[in-house]
Amino acid sequence: MSTNMKFLVVDDFSTMRRIVKGLLNELGYNDITEADDGNTALPLLKGGNFDFLITDWNMPGMPGLDLLKAVRGDAKLAKLPVLMLTAEAKREQIIEAAQAGVSGYVIKPFTAATLKEKIDKILASKAAA
Amino acid sequence: MSQADTLGRYRSHVADLAGALDANDEAAFRAAFERLRGQLNIELNPELKRITADALSALRRFREQARLEVLADQEVPDARRRLAHVVKLTEEAAHRTLDLVEQSSPLIDRMALEAAQLLEEWGLHGSRQLAVNSMWPERANESLERAVRDSERVRRFLSQMLLAQGYQDLSGQIIQAVIRLVMELETVLGQLVSLAQGEDTRRMPVLKLDSTQPMPVQDGSQGAGPHVPGVGTSQIVSDQDDIDALIASVGRP
Repeated sequence: MSTNMKFLVVDDFSTMRRIVKGLLNELGYNDITEADDGNTALPLLKGGNFDFLITDWNMPGMPGLDLLKAVRGDAKLAKLPVLMLTAEAKREQIIEAAQAGVSGYVIKPFTAATLKEKIDKILASKAAA
Repeated sequence: MSQADTLGRYRSHVADLAGALDANDEAAFRAAFERLRGQLNIELNPELKRITADALSALRRFREQARLEVLADQEVPDARRRLAHVVKLTEEAAHRTLDLVEQSSPLIDRMALEAAQLLEEWGLHGSRQLAVNSMWPERANESLERAVRDSERVRRFLSQMLLAQGYQDLSGQIIQAVIRLVMELETVLGQLVSLAQGEDTRRMPVLKLDSTQPMPVQDGSQGAGPHVPGVGTSQIVSDQDDIDALIASVGRP
């Protein structure tokens, strides 16, 4: 799996962005950009050739679910792997994210192993597609 | 007064009104209408007076209760500021911890690397050095091996410390939800105080917002924040296998 992949990490809490960035660094991914909500993330995605999006759900401005829908609705971004990393744990929310086309869903608090496993699984299924 | 009596009186008034209409007699219609209105006043006035008196009494009690004003003007806004300050303090503490983790990681990596390099050199030249000093090189060898093992353990601990700072995100989201509630309470209390003081509440600002604090709008797509035990009735899914199964069951990747 290439570690030259370009990640966008979207979360309104700067601590969580640093944590995810640190974990990605440990996994060998070093090209990481940060955004604090969907409104900031979407223009970056449209102009940035990102390979992977990791987004929180609950954010002021544009929440993660709306960002996911915008990504899936954009012809150029529609196939982008999107991992939702969120504290939203209601059954109906997870279903809603799945219906919107999320590639993976991890509930906070999470472990480094879960994050790695989920990223690997999403990339493997993308490679197989 | 029974309902039958009341209805009988209204029936009489309505019959007078209908008769005046049939006769096309405007004066009789107006007279019947005035009698009906008079009847309504007789029945409704006592109730209206009682409601008005209750409302005025409640407003008087509001004015006399200075505690309400202190709550609305000072203590509830202070509570909101205190909560926002807690979020700021925990954020600063989490960032400080992350700084230290990030500064420690390369140090432990370098220590592990140098120990491993020395062990490799010892493997190449060990027998010659052993001939020079039979005790020291063996102790050094053990120490270097332990340094390599311990460095790896410290590396894992640092990774766990990094992840543990996620508490700041979760606790911050929960506190922000409480801040939103306190802001609503602040607004309602402020409007109650203004009402008691006879002000026109329609001219009041909706919220006294601190522009430095984000206030997410809560709608369906916004999310509800972390699950808190005992709060809410929705079905929570927290096991990763269950989440994966749920995602897969919907039929999209």
